Amino acid sequence: MNQQDIKILIKENKVITLKELYKEYEKTHAQQAKLPFEEKIKILVDLQKIANSWGKKDIIIWKIS
Amino acid sequence: MKKTLEVLNELKEKGLIKDYAIGGAIAALRWTEPFFTRDLDVFVIPIKEYSEKEVIEFKKIYDFLQEKGYNEWIEQWLIIEGIPVEFIPAEGISKEAVENAVEIEFEGIKTKVITPEYLIIMFLKAFREKDKLKINLLLQQSEIDMNKLKELLKKYNLTDKFNSIK
Repeated sequence: MNQQDIKILIKENKVITLKELYKEYEKTHAQQAKLPFEEKIKILVDLQKIANSWGKKDIIIWKIS
Repeated sequence: MKKTLEVLNELKEKGLIKDYAIGGAIAALRWTEPFFTRDLDVFVIPIKEYSEKEVIEFKKIYDFLQEKGYNEWIEQWLIIEGIPVEFIPAEGISKEAVENAVEIEFEGIKTKVITPEYLIIMFLKAFREKDKLKINLLLQQSEIDMNKLKELLKKYNLTDKFNSIK
């Protein structure tokens, strides 16, 4: 069996193959690339907050406005 | 970020710099999905033209910023309105990149950001692992002018290096 054909139950009655799952990931990443710049900066600040909360205290959380 | 960009624009308006553009990770992020980074890289074309042997003078810029109250340094970054900013003199490829950068807006404030083709060239020059990742993201997620990229790769003799990571 091809590894890409492995089936995964992702929610009730919803089964997808690994290949389909990777395709969905790619689609999500491509959609995120099209977000407005302001939205991307908000996401970056969220990532900085996460890193900071995980103990990376030297990371400065940016002020947006 | 908005206030930081206003301060950067003021540097240009006051004639302290000729031009600037955002480069590095934040410029890449403009063209790709969002990812983590710490700082804002700002490529600056100084007012005066410098020869290779001369020391590039940023003192007036820092004096002006200090007068405005921006005097907190963390490593190489000056904190401007809550954002760690690194000023990098634009020369050679980076100067060309600033000259060809595109204007964008952030919350109504105009700024310039380096285009994907020039970013790829600059990341190829730096060529750390994180630069290779950004090159791949740009290739996958941004609209690249392949003719322009090929022209730049040839001009800066980076075609083989580029082909090695694809």
